[in-house]
Amino acid sequence: MRSITLSQAVNEAIAEEMRRDETVFLIGEDVAEAGTPFKVTSGLVEEFGTDRVIDTPIAEPGFMGLAVGAAMTGARPVVDLMFGDFLYLVMDQLCNQAAKTHYMSGGKLKVPLVLRTNLGATRRSAAQHSQSLQALVAHIPGLKVAMPSSAYEAKGLMKTAIRDDNPVVIFEDKLMYQDKALVPEEEYLIPFGEANVLREGDDVTLVGTSSMRQVCEKAAEILASEGISAEVIDPRTIVPLDEDTLLASARKTSRVIVVDEGHQSYGVTAEIAARINEKAFYHLDAPVIRMGAMDVPVPFSPALEDLTVPTPDGVAENARKLMSGEMIHAA
Amino acid sequence: MPHEVKMPQLGMTQDSGVIVAWLKAAGDAVSEGDALFEVETDKATMEVEAQTGGFLAGIRASEGEDVPVGDVIALIVDNEGEVTDHAAAPNTETAAPEQEPAAAEPGPEASDEQTPPAPEPAPPPKPGPNAAPTPATGKVLASPKAKRLALERGIDLAMLSAQGVSEPIHAADLPRAATGGHSILTASTTGAAMDALLASSDAADRTALFAAFARGAWRMIFDSEAGVAIRALDGTVTVTGADSAALTLVDLCGTRLTSYAPSAGGPTLTAARQGDGYALTLAFPEGALPMPQAAALLDDIAARVEDPIRQLL
Repeated sequence: MRSITLSQAVNEAIAEEMRRDETVFLIGEDVAEAGTPFKVTSGLVEEFGTDRVIDTPIAEPGFMGLAVGAAMTGARPVVDLMFGDFLYLVMDQLCNQAAKTHYMSGGKLKVPLVLRTNLGATRRSAAQHSQSLQALVAHIPGLKVAMPSSAYEAKGLMKTAIRDDNPVVIFEDKLMYQDKALVPEEEYLIPFGEANVLREGDDVTLVGTSSMRQVCEKAAEILASEGISAEVIDPRTIVPLDEDTLLASARKTSRVIVVDEGHQSYGVTAEIAARINEKAFYHLDAPVIRMGAMDVPVPFSPALEDLTVPTPDGVAENARKLMSGEMIHAA
Repeated sequence: MPHEVKMPQLGMTQDSGVIVAWLKAAGDAVSEGDALFEVETDKATMEVEAQTGGFLAGIRASEGEDVPVGDVIALIVDNEGEVTDHAAAPNTETAAPEQEPAAAEPGPEASDEQTPPAPEPAPPPKPGPNAAPTPATGKVLASPKAKRLALERGIDLAMLSAQGVSEPIHAADLPRAATGGHSILTASTTGAAMDALLASSDAADRTALFAAFARGAWRMIFDSEAGVAIRALDGTVTVTGADSAALTLVDLCGTRLTSYAPSAGGPTLTAARQGDGYALTLAFPEGALPMPQAAALLDDIAARVEDPIRQLL
């Protein structure tokens, strides 16, 4: 199997779906000739032309609203939101319109729209271009939220998202665009709501979304060298969430650390931890631990920025504490 | 003044009970002694009786709820008209001295708790297990998994804490299983009364009498029915009293044998002749049967051997 970058994987997914279904089109800032700042969509305008690869002015609410209308009337738009931080600009179009139209029209209207955007700090992009806002949209009923953790997931989840009749938000980690993974030449889709158990273990479960999967895998390596057997799970989509896989693992290991790059408070980690707590409580031998980004605006200073995100060493340290029965928080 | 119905302490290490079912509904007239509700502890399920007559009001714990011992779970009011007044009464701490918990036998137990435990040669009619010292007071910090496993394996977390296991107790701190490592208690009794009883009727069966005494003592100590498995020396096992046995009985009286120590399994009672009297041995895994209850159980069985009339009480 060949190895391609996450950027190439997303490009392939969009191109394949555009070839398969002529109602699919791409819209956003700098998606055509520029191919986005991360060069994800390079080459698409050459193949599909400017009617289906549409550059817009710098007006996120405008093109997002346009795409919602297009989706309601039969098209399948893929909206490119250059930075996840710009979600704040399209909140009404996404959360009030796209998410609720199917419900409020009594099922008569569908909004088969994909909003692809990104997350992730440590790119030295400062507080307004470094946020991980998946919890913001995961909170809204009517939206699905996918968080690919490698090129393989990025392609399979994107194709599923484009074919889904509901609005889907996909967060790619902007630091992973050049990371390579094995991606099959032949077509494949990754269904939503199916977590991926990347590594089996008996002592502690590490749940990692998006690039936090790699953080958890590295932590598991560190722990393995110390005789601690960690299971690593990538939920792949947080809405819908594969509770069964998470709960089965929690029941097996009795200890869980949930890692996500969104801010720790009121975040994805809290939601997953709460569900495990509610549904696997009598199997837990330690509190479920959340590890998110520090509750501060992401610093521009590289030295400070690196301190705000979960690291393999930090995850391993918490796992050691759980194993030793040490209380991470006061009883 | 409404009478407060509290979650009774039915076993000495019990810190809560699950309401299995309410046998009366709010507004029902109840008489003293009426079964009010069924409660499940880690040992058994039993009915709890009303301590006073009146009308049931203000049910505060629903079926399936796990309620700490001593918590007020309902009120019994004097007049039917008060029922609605108390239907949603706040859970105020207004325990008056005359208000007793609705335990099955609160009187002697409550008073015995105040006195130090003493093996009494002429025991009162109902020496409850609560006469023994309580191993620990207050809440034991343990993980949810450790608590569940302790319940399943019949392990007393308070006992572990008292033995020096540091809190919070985790699953790995629990003894792996409640088998092996039996503790042994022995008792010597006089034999005259027992022998007279056996001589009085050809039909009297010594082994069956021991089993009956064991069941009676168990009922006294645990307030629940227990089967007794009679293990004969030819290997056959007969369960008496219930479908499953909580205690095994080995009767060595017709032989020269004096004692038997099982290597595994639940509590085992051995009876042997000792001069004119009897020697009773109770081997028990402390994880399943804590020492204070084992001691109370064997002492009660021995008392019945010495004075079989107690079996009728």
